[in-house]
Amino acid sequence: MRRNYLYKYILSGAARSIVILSILTVIGCSDELETTSKTSLSSATVFSTEARIEGLANGLYKSLKTANLYSGYLILYGDLRAEDFVCRTENALTGGYVWSNTFTNTTGDIANTWGQLYAAVNNINTFIDGVSISNVISEAQKNHYLGEAYFLRGLAYYHLVTLYATPYTKDDGASKGIPLRLLAENSSEHNDLERSSVSDVYKQIIQDLDNAERLLPESYETNLLNTTRAHRNTAIALKTRVYLSKGEYTKVVDEAKKIVPQTAAPFSATSGVHSALQEDITTVFGGNYTTTESILSFPMTSSDTPLGVSLSETFYANRIDYVLNSSETGIISDKSWRENDRRRSFVVFNQNIGQNTLAKYKKVSPSVDYVPAIRYSEVLLNYAEASASTGNVALAVQLLQAVRHRSDDTYEFSADDLAAGQIISTIAKEKRIELLGEGLRANDILRKLETFPSKPTLSSMNPISVSPNDDNYIFPIPNSEIQTNSLINK
Amino acid sequence: MKKGLFIIGFAIAPLLAAAQNLITGHITDVRTGEPLIGASVIVKSEKGRGVVSDIDGNFKLQTKVEAPLTLRVEFVGYRALDVDVYDFEEPVEITLRENYNSLSEVVVVGYGTQSRKEFTGSISSINGADVSQRPIQSFDQALAGHAAGVSLAASNGQLNAPSVIRIRGVNSISLSSLPLFVIDGVPVYSDDISTNSAANNPLSDINPSDIESIDILKDAASTAIYGSRAAGGVILVTTKKGRSGRAVTHYNGWVSFTNAVRLPEMLNAEQYTALKNEAITNANNIDGGNRSLVYQLQKNSDGSIVDTDWKDYVYRTGISHNHNIDISGGTENITYYFSVNYSNQQGIFQGNNFERKGIRFNAEDRITNWLTLSLNSNYSSSFNESPDTGSRPGSSMSSYGVTRLALVLPPNVGAYNEDGTFNVNPVSGTLGSGANNSSFPLYNPEARLALTSNTSDNSHFIGNIKFVLRPVKQITWTGQYSLDRINNESTSFASTQLGSGASSSGGSVTNITSRFINEDFNTTLGYDDIFGKLHKISLLVGFDYQHNTTNFWGARATKESDDFFRYYQGGWANVVATGNQIGERNYISYFFRASYTLSDRYFLTTNFRRDGNSALAKNHKYGNFGGLSFGWLISDEPFFKHALSKDAISNLKLNASWGRVGNGNITNDYSSFSLYSSSLYGDASTWDISQQGNDNLSWETSSQTNIGLSFDAFKDRLHVELAYFNNNVDDLILSVPQSPSKGIVGNSILSNVGSMYNRGVEFSLNYQVLNNKEWKWNVSTNFTYLKNEVTALSGDESAIISYTGSGSTNITKIGYSVGSLYGLKTLRVNPENGQRVFLNGAGEEVQYNGLGKWTYLDGRTAKALSGDDYYVLGNALPKWYGGIISNTEWRGFELNFSFSFAGGNKIMNRSKSTITDQIFFNNSTEVLDRWTTPGQDTNIPRLVTGDRYSFGGSVPISEHVENGDFLRLQNITLAYNLPKKVLNNVFIKGVRIYGQIDNAFILTGYSGVDPELSANGNSNTTPGVDYNTGGYGRTFTFGLNLTF
Repeated sequence: MRRNYLYKYILSGAARSIVILSILTVIGCSDELETTSKTSLSSATVFSTEARIEGLANGLYKSLKTANLYSGYLILYGDLRAEDFVCRTENALTGGYVWSNTFTNTTGDIANTWGQLYAAVNNINTFIDGVSISNVISEAQKNHYLGEAYFLRGLAYYHLVTLYATPYTKDDGASKGIPLRLLAENSSEHNDLERSSVSDVYKQIIQDLDNAERLLPESYETNLLNTTRAHRNTAIALKTRVYLSKGEYTKVVDEAKKIVPQTAAPFSATSGVHSALQEDITTVFGGNYTTTESILSFPMTSSDTPLGVSLSETFYANRIDYVLNSSETGIISDKSWRENDRRRSFVVFNQNIGQNTLAKYKKVSPSVDYVPAIRYSEVLLNYAEASASTGNVALAVQLLQAVRHRSDDTYEFSADDLAAGQIISTIAKEKRIELLGEGLRANDILRKLETFPSKPTLSSMNPISVSPNDDNYIFPIPNSEIQTNSLINK
Repeated sequence: MKKGLFIIGFAIAPLLAAAQNLITGHITDVRTGEPLIGASVIVKSEKGRGVVSDIDGNFKLQTKVEAPLTLRVEFVGYRALDVDVYDFEEPVEITLRENYNSLSEVVVVGYGTQSRKEFTGSISSINGADVSQRPIQSFDQALAGHAAGVSLAASNGQLNAPSVIRIRGVNSISLSSLPLFVIDGVPVYSDDISTNSAANNPLSDINPSDIESIDILKDAASTAIYGSRAAGGVILVTTKKGRSGRAVTHYNGWVSFTNAVRLPEMLNAEQYTALKNEAITNANNIDGGNRSLVYQLQKNSDGSIVDTDWKDYVYRTGISHNHNIDISGGTENITYYFSVNYSNQQGIFQGNNFERKGIRFNAEDRITNWLTLSLNSNYSSSFNESPDTGSRPGSSMSSYGVTRLALVLPPNVGAYNEDGTFNVNPVSGTLGSGANNSSFPLYNPEARLALTSNTSDNSHFIGNIKFVLRPVKQITWTGQYSLDRINNESTSFASTQLGSGASSSGGSVTNITSRFINEDFNTTLGYDDIFGKLHKISLLVGFDYQHNTTNFWGARATKESDDFFRYYQGGWANVVATGNQIGERNYISYFFRASYTLSDRYFLTTNFRRDGNSALAKNHKYGNFGGLSFGWLISDEPFFKHALSKDAISNLKLNASWGRVGNGNITNDYSSFSLYSSSLYGDASTWDISQQGNDNLSWETSSQTNIGLSFDAFKDRLHVELAYFNNNVDDLILSVPQSPSKGIVGNSILSNVGSMYNRGVEFSLNYQVLNNKEWKWNVSTNFTYLKNEVTALSGDESAIISYTGSGSTNITKIGYSVGSLYGLKTLRVNPENGQRVFLNGAGEEVQYNGLGKWTYLDGRTAKALSGDDYYVLGNALPKWYGGIISNTEWRGFELNFSFSFAGGNKIMNRSKSTITDQIFFNNSTEVLDRWTTPGQDTNIPRLVTGDRYSFGGSVPISEHVENGDFLRLQNITLAYNLPKKVLNNVFIKGVRIYGQIDNAFILTGYSGVDPELSANGNSNTTPGVDYNTGGYGRTFTFGLNLTF
């Protein structure tokens, strides 16, 4: 029989190497089980350098930028529940149930928004723990970071309490609110936690924002950071909104004065970042996202685009799930909002679909419109309402006109509109016009205990109107929380 | 299993007796047509007259006995055969069939082989011939119904979809329940590795024709030697090896035609338009609204109405062909097997294709009488391509999923406009509205087919080299190195043109390349000896080290500069990294096995294994596992032999085993760590919590008891096996739900908390109805009864709710089987008003008006139903399953069929919710029976536009829970082997032609496409859900086998 000797030689050589290898391997692989990730840091090392802590601080903002939060849906929910938008497409997944007010405790929007806000809260609580004991950053840096963390926690809890709890104004916060999680959670413990009262939640929000005001820097080095990271005036601005939701108008006035010290136009902050209205509102949307008018916005870049469907796609291009309500109940039908008003440029008629669309967010592929969280004109209107409510109608008129005249400088409000009994609803209407599509409408309805009005439909979604005593006046506690937190309904 | 390959001698000296008659003949394997060398042939009536067949399978036997006489033909591993010989003129053609159950047969067990007699665990064996000629992509697809205790089905009808395989039930909740696949000693990847919609099961890189046999290890005592990776059972695949003797060459090829079956009938354009408008009118009547009737028929310019059957654009007749050539042979010291394979297959979905080019080389060299080296290697280049069929896990609700599109798209619009362009919406690029005054969020499948592509391409090597060193007779030292390496490239492209789904981002292309490397090194030292003829001892110690790495990287580019580009290498404006991942996983194991046999009747085996797994938490990486088993060959006891004749009952054997195995197959290599990942906030880099770890994460353990009984009866014509098994799985690793308000990533933490059991019985039977020279008929059947129950979770009240799409379809709860169906309970349609009547959580009957209003039957307002009102709607796991296989041969003809059956489970037919949904979706014709008039009895409620509850549109309802019992004719084959006479003077030694039908028919009460579909693939917690899942086709195959 013929043998291939080369073949045999190779095989026996291989055999010899296997024998040697086998001995080496048995001896030599004790550390082989200690593998670690090459793409992620473990909790043990993430607080170990200054740069990483800066990254963690940015991470807090990032955790508020998820799909259901400041990627855009949080803004969306604020507008959809009311009457200014109409659902056009057969898409129940992008806020459709919120729009029609027919959500249940298993609706994705309800569960996801809750989960993502609390995920941000836990990120913040974990960060507070880590920074507090850090010895790689200075005391000043520590305070700065803690200030940002407190501010963001206040913001997150403000959204939670306004979305998921009975409005404070209904019973002075006596109702059950939401669970107040203030400790970092990193184990299977503590699933059960009762809801704190609405008033206790607000107490915590205000405490966090007061701390933030004390600890935050007055300003940053760049306009970008002044818009995308919290500074002292950011905390103050948010407080005007929070106190308004509580109906504590004198507090709103006290806070607003800090950043709106003037009693007549032009208004602007005089300390910290000099927040002020821009001459042309269209600058703020698409022109320059980092003016002093944008007190806090969430940045979008081509490498950090919105998660989920962007506001521009929801309102303006490609999908256009929601168009402006063109019937008489929609704000765009308001006669006082004149054609020459610069804000009318945000109402664009789309020939293809034969509907009016909102054109505040227009950038697609990639969707890089910044998502606004707090704008100076809101502060002015908050201040106006609070002033009017506390008897200072003259100042209220000044503030109201500052907002209107910026976009329609020849408009004169009628005496009736500005009368003491009427000016508050005039301010409310101005807010609908000025802040259309910026997510503030639902809160204004809720804190005034008004009814979410009925509206037309362009799809098979059937919207319903809900009044303060109806089940769906506020978002229900998600079923997933009920299933895992036995004290939630206690 | 390995058959006696080396024959001691085949040159038998001619018998010296004065012989008058010379019988000549030829012995071959019935399946392969290969000559059998060394088979013994005797004349039954003549003591001591015997010869063995030579290297060509020929024999010459001289005898004094006159015709007619009977020859007895025997060969190790084959069924003995009696052949009647009537004259001595013609050579006798004898074919033998392998015997898979005989005790003398050798079975492959972990790190070695044992005879079935000594084997005391539980094993099922399948002949490679059962898979080699089927029109399949990977061998696992052909195993359904072939082995007791093994439940197996492809998860959907897309080509190369991974199979759902359960050996003795679901053995984990969070970790994979898939068995470990070991090919020639190499543990290989078996999960879908594609990163897009083209399914890619890497087992398809193994050419089914190369498979010699498949052994399935089912109990802990058998699998424990594979330790940590064996909790789901082990499937051992042995590929073909050469045999000493003249080289044999085979060609086999087939061509097949596949069509979709059992698709529902949908409304035509006129019916659709009328019913959708009726639903709007009904809504207006209910709430006094004035919605306009948005659905309108569209007319072509010639006046005809547009009436589209979207199935025509999605389905096709898939034409496939497959070719295989192998050459094998060897000398007494070297054997080799070499094969090449080409397969080109089309699925039933347009654009769903599979191609494989494979090459294998196996060789074994007995270098000296104390050293043997063997080498197996397989290289495949394979290609998968598929549109999104909506069948892969998580894609049930995809707006691209063609299975759903084929049914629900409005029939009153066309795929094309009259000018030949695609009918798409000018704003969104979704399907155009036609004359309807509404916009549709789903896509035009015809446009998607032209404007998108998804591919997944493997370059896959599997190989090993092994030495066996036997310095003295009693000692065997082995060492083996093996490598399984896959380089995968998955690409997906969508054009910038409207209709692609990516026009809003200016088109997109995503390329992800991934590399999987699995290296295994093991060495064993064995000692076998017999003392005093009664005591046989076998000892084995060993060490095994596995090193797994995964490395993914990729990029997504958007905004193409010209719609010419279809590849990443074109001109694109934005590029971002995507799909990046690096992982490493190591296993270290030390093991020991000892077997003791007393008097060839009493068998005892014990094994122990210490396993280390790098993915578990520090200080919890090692686990100790092992098992004990014993066997008793009762029929060899003297008392038994006295009591019963060997012809009545023989080989009666009792096996019992207990063992404990671990499962540490966590998907994530770093599960125990709390991790932070980097991303961007605008332009600033961030660190964010990405994973909550658990410092105590440890092994899942499974304690398994097996008691088995097997015997032969009626002169070995009947073979019966019975087994009882009880698997208790403890310390289940569960994603323990955390209350969402804790803000833990994913709202869960992996912890060792749960317990469950799988208990059942298996029964298999093989009966040789006929076995003579002309007729051979063999029937086998197997049956498994199984009960699964969860006995502990993280808390007494806790339950794991799992989702299909956005609906919570399954629940895992103490006292129920894993992944029981879950949803709202519906009772009937109220004949008074056509509203669906539900049972709320409090047990009260409530009805839904379709427009958000819930009332009690007396009209009082009721609370809207929510998650609190869900009920457990049924067990989703088959309680019994099995198969019936029959093989008949007559004069070169073969008729084989195999049935599979299963039942005792419920199926959530979410697809029915889709095809009765009251949004713009087209409905099946059963909706014609809708409620229209008071007093009408029907199970279809009044149609109300936007009603997402009554028809289950957004919530699972019990109306759509159906029985899953079925009987399927998996395969029926008719073959003809040309007689040897015809081929006598040709160079061809054997010709076999065959035709077969796969999935020939199914008997079932299930109203959906198929009761075996799984919308969630291999998921343990969401079984039994059919949700827009693509069904299996029916395949007609014609094949040809040639032996040279």
